Amino acid sequence: MELTTIVETLDLDVKTTEGDFSQEISGVYVSDLLSDVLAHADEDNLWITLQGHPNIIAVASMKDLVGIVLVNGRMPEDETLRKANDEKIPIMTTEMQAFDLAGKLYGLLGKE
Amino acid sequence: MARTKEVTRVQELIYEMKVGQVMSTEVITVDLDSQMSNLRNLLGEKRISGVPVMDNEQLVGMVSIEDFITCLADRNSDCSVREQMSRDVKTLYDTDPLVHAVQEFERHGYGRFPVINRETGKLAGIITKGDIVRGLLNKMEIDYHEEETQRRLIDRSFEEIITEKTRFTLRYDIVGKDFNRAGETSSKLKEALKRMGIPPDILRRVAIATYEAEMNTVIYTSGGKLAARITPDEIAVEVQDSGPGIKDIDKAMKPGFSTATDQVRELGFGAGMGLPNIKKCADQMQLESTIGEGTRLKFSVHIKRSEDHGTNNHR
Amino acid sequence: MILEQIVAILDGDFLTRQNHRQKNVQTGCGCDLMSDVLAFIKRDALLLTGLTNTQVIRTAEMADIQAVCFVRGKKPTKEVIALAEEKEITLLATSLPLFEACGRLYRSGLAGCSEYED
Repeated sequence: MELTTIVETLDLDVKTTEGDFSQEISGVYVSDLLSDVLAHADEDNLWITLQGHPNIIAVASMKDLVGIVLVNGRMPEDETLRKANDEKIPIMTTEMQAFDLAGKLYGLLGKE
Repeated sequence: MARTKEVTRVQELIYEMKVGQVMSTEVITVDLDSQMSNLRNLLGEKRISGVPVMDNEQLVGMVSIEDFITCLADRNSDCSVREQMSRDVKTLYDTDPLVHAVQEFERHGYGRFPVINRETGKLAGIITKGDIVRGLLNKMEIDYHEEETQRRLIDRSFEEIITEKTRFTLRYDIVGKDFNRAGETSSKLKEALKRMGIPPDILRRVAIATYEAEMNTVIYTSGGKLAARITPDEIAVEVQDSGPGIKDIDKAMKPGFSTATDQVRELGFGAGMGLPNIKKCADQMQLESTIGEGTRLKFSVHIKRSEDHGTNNHR
Repeated sequence: MILEQIVAILDGDFLTRQNHRQKNVQTGCGCDLMSDVLAFIKRDALLLTGLTNTQVIRTAEMADIQAVCFVRGKKPTKEVIALAEEKEITLLATSLPLFEACGRLYRSGLAGCSEYED
């Protein structure tokens, strides 16, 4: 499934100006611990997290993630947005909690 | 001026008057072999904060409301007065001048002293700071309740000499830099408050705010002290450390702002939500910090009781 | 949803010895940041997390959380389990990653504990 379909279906707010939304996502990884994501996320995953810290961009770039969704109304720091645009990694936000967003995505990706 | 004159008169009186003149002679005591649970009524209903322990008419110790709470907080079962009481009892003689009593209150920080009859060596009464103030005021023929200004004046001259009997404070040390043990203090406080019958919603808010404060102390400093003052109206917590201090308090209060290391973040903390969380849980919050000296955080949660609402009954 | 059902949905296990299989939870919450958990979780929630340190148990204790499920096959130490037992917090474990654990429970009807709901 393309990132753009997910953004539209789940009504996510796109915060970055750069990035490729036509990428296919290979799966979803939910975690707020950078070391966990570094160790366990797969290439082309969409990452769901509460962390808006600039370090998330380094992690996403290193792991070739498709994009990052900040949940629970959390906003990325300015520095994070700047780095995200530089690295062309899309950042989206939502008021939903990780649990709800994961639930909806799980259904959308037809993992039942 | 009136103020100076009153203070001088008080100073004269505390040299003139004796402990025996102002003490309470009706002393409630407990027997050495009784159980702490028997104190519940004494400490609760009669609002006494400390009781002399007697063994065959001989004063052998004191138990305080703090001892009672420690007993409840530390274990599930009952414990005996014998093992919980303080044996090192400071006493006063009935013939001691009040000035000596005032000095002893200041020196030891106790709420009350048993008074011994100098001739017989037996327990003759008990004295609180409140007894001293009342005694002085009686002597000066001031109505304690009506003369508001003079009352305040005397209060000041003895530095809050009047102790509210229903107030008490639980004190704990917070060990810094030990992530594994972080939360132990908040846990102890929560257990103690729970046993006192604090309502669950209040308990949860106090526990969460205390825990966040404790985590901050553990993460950023080498340790600190926590004091929780419990009154019928509120629980007021004060956490003090001698850590590095907070550079910009307004910034620190902003959700998401944090100076935590990556290591701390990987443990699930330091995401900049601690102080905002405390603010959210507390009815009042105050944060003071000096770089290089330390940080003092105070917050309180009001205990709302059902009679506060809608019972304004004029018949 | 009772814990026994949750364990079945997650192909998981109980880690604590007490028999809390019939304990009921109303909402789910997946999170690794404890301050966020403290800020929005409800009393009747199941916390799903990839962290297994003591602070997860302390967080559950302070916020009156009934049950915690560790994901991605992570197991806490004996000391952590003992503390949870002392505080009557039920611990579960599943080998599923957080995404799949949340997804399965959500699809099975467990609600999220979004603070915007009530």
